[in-house]
Amino acid sequence: MTGLALKGELARGPFRWLPYGYVLLMVTACTAVDWLLYSHMDLANLVMVYLLGVLVLAYFMGTGASILASVLSVVAFDYFFVPPRFNIGVYNIQHLFTFAVMLLVALSISSLTAWVKDQAVMARARERRTAALYSLSRELAGTRGTDQLLQAAMRHISDNFESAAISFLPDAHGKMTVRSGSAAEFNLTPREMALAQWAYDFGQVAGRGTTVVPDAEALYVPLPASGVTVGALAVKPLRPDRLFTMEQVNLLETLANETALAIASDRLTEENKRVEQQVENERIRSSLLSSVSHDLRTPLAAIMGSASALLKDGGSIDAAGRRDLLENIRDEADRLSRLVNNLLEMTRLESGAVEIHRELHHMEEIAGTAIARMEAKNGDHRITARFPPDLPMVSVDAMLVEQVLINLIDNAFKYSPARTPVEISAVEENGGLNVRVSDRGPGIPSEDLDRLFDKFYRGKLHGPVGGSGLGLAICKAIVDAHGGSIFAGNRPGGGAMFQFSIPFESDKA
Amino acid sequence: MNDQGKVRPEDGTVILVIEDELAIRRFLNPYLKGQGFNVLEADAGEEGLSLADSRHPDIILLDLGLPDMDGLEVIERLRERTDVPVIILTARGKEEDKVKGLDAGADDYLTKPFGVEELLARIRVALRHGRKGGEEKPAESFESGDLKVDLATRTVRLRDSEIHLTPHEYGILVLLFRRAGKVVTQKQILREIWGHAGHEQEHYVRLYIHQLRGKIEDDPARPRYIITESGVGYRLKEE
Repeated sequence: MTGLALKGELARGPFRWLPYGYVLLMVTACTAVDWLLYSHMDLANLVMVYLLGVLVLAYFMGTGASILASVLSVVAFDYFFVPPRFNIGVYNIQHLFTFAVMLLVALSISSLTAWVKDQAVMARARERRTAALYSLSRELAGTRGTDQLLQAAMRHISDNFESAAISFLPDAHGKMTVRSGSAAEFNLTPREMALAQWAYDFGQVAGRGTTVVPDAEALYVPLPASGVTVGALAVKPLRPDRLFTMEQVNLLETLANETALAIASDRLTEENKRVEQQVENERIRSSLLSSVSHDLRTPLAAIMGSASALLKDGGSIDAAGRRDLLENIRDEADRLSRLVNNLLEMTRLESGAVEIHRELHHMEEIAGTAIARMEAKNGDHRITARFPPDLPMVSVDAMLVEQVLINLIDNAFKYSPARTPVEISAVEENGGLNVRVSDRGPGIPSEDLDRLFDKFYRGKLHGPVGGSGLGLAICKAIVDAHGGSIFAGNRPGGGAMFQFSIPFESDKA
Repeated sequence: MNDQGKVRPEDGTVILVIEDELAIRRFLNPYLKGQGFNVLEADAGEEGLSLADSRHPDIILLDLGLPDMDGLEVIERLRERTDVPVIILTARGKEEDKVKGLDAGADDYLTKPFGVEELLARIRVALRHGRKGGEEKPAESFESGDLKVDLATRTVRLRDSEIHLTPHEYGILVLLFRRAGKVVTQKQILREIWGHAGHEQEHYVRLYIHQLRGKIEDDPARPRYIITESGVGYRLKEE
């Protein structure tokens, strides 16, 4: 639907001589034909040739040319063919009648043809208008975001009006600033900017061809959506001598209105999304508070209790007991530290404050640092790692993926009995790396499998096991950010298994 | 290397702690005094710098998050006047700051929260390298656990069987040995081995370390010699 023939209809410029040249040519041609036919035909038939010429001119050149042709035809017919030939004088009263009828018929043909043609032109214009509107609204319907909507509309308008088009949006002070379009085509002088401002402030077209600064470079059209004006647009014909017709200005206003409505509705959707997000954040915050207050207090109570017991002890606690209390303080502080890390990490991931620094890494090395950190804290489990030596490097944020592995290992430690093995392995599969952490604990109840990665969800089995329910949610957030996926399952032979995959090539890179 | 690692700091070694958190100084001070150090304290960067000028400490512990100035600036200004070993203290998640600090001239780092064993180990390594008056003291051979490097013959032996390393692998291993116990950033490895350091090339370092581990480590996922310091670099573990 691009390249509509609106192009041919930019307003007529200065008076053009060309049609009148065609009139002369046509009358001469008719005379020549009649000259050849003269000896074989009646005078009445010769008239028909002239009428045909008038008809053709009326269709292609318009009323003015065909009226002139009518008159010239009568004169030429009289001069060349009506006896006495080569003389304007008329000696037979009958011929005067012929001239009168000929002129009348020629003039009628002129105006009828012009009328029919106007009708056709108007019908075509209506059709084009509908088509232009339809194709714009179809394009806008599939577009999101103010800038994208404006870009689509500007592209559409500049294609259909053989013009350059740019859009303006108000800044914080309501001042028009250029947003999208081919700004290089425009010479945005203060005067032109003032017109954009005028169109925005008063909601009316201004500039080129209008009553407001008609000699401006471009035409400025407001972008009105029910009750508010969202901005303005400027259209500048590629040929500097052209003006826009009334019809084109109307169409531009309709397209501008369509664009403005799309922008307003898009903003409303965005606003709704934001509100929903806010509600969700509130919900998270309140469940965070209830979860955190419990999980923070437990280790704090243990630390406080142990420390005060050591301080106030009058010598009743033996060396082994003292050591036990001190170890308790250290372990609980460690637990507190991990919890705070997870909370911070989750908050940062949620708020989008975490930038992902993807670089090529060996998964084995990342797993190695995770294993070292976890083994330093817990000697009760045996971790085995299996990585093929030729496993390719993968582009990840190593610190974040290490966090995923730490949380998964931590989980395995918590939910499986001491001295049972925890296995970590990786394979290359389906254009990515699959990393698996599995244990030989009781496995995961099937009703938990779906909700395991939800925030603050604690499995049915958690019993005395401490945790905020954040670990797996963080894993999922991190893996998602890498364009990968994570799932949990049960192993044949017993035990839980977590697997995440990271694609080698990711569009989120 | 082994016997040197066990040298206890002599009594009277002066340690300057630049840290604004009273809670941290409260446990550092008595512990370090108990270990025989002469402890100086500063709770801001300017005070730390002037103490470094007037009292010539043997080693400095520097918190990167100071109230009055950027920790990086403290390192740079310290390096303008002295080669005293500097160990930076930061939180997890600030790996970029650690790398910047190390590349600006700090000798090592510790992530808060840390235990005192770790702290003492870092201080000893830093003091040892510092006392030698430069870290690149010529040596004839290096050894850690079952791994031996003979510089004269350029041979590497693991449990007495010779291991064949490429020149780059050998270069990285020797570099890590020269600074044994100290962290070496990826950028430092790039600069020393390849002569230039662009961020885009850092994965070459990881690639070579991976190959090197394949040759010298029994279980590369549980390295005994070359330890990865996440987001920062590598450390050769002394045994």
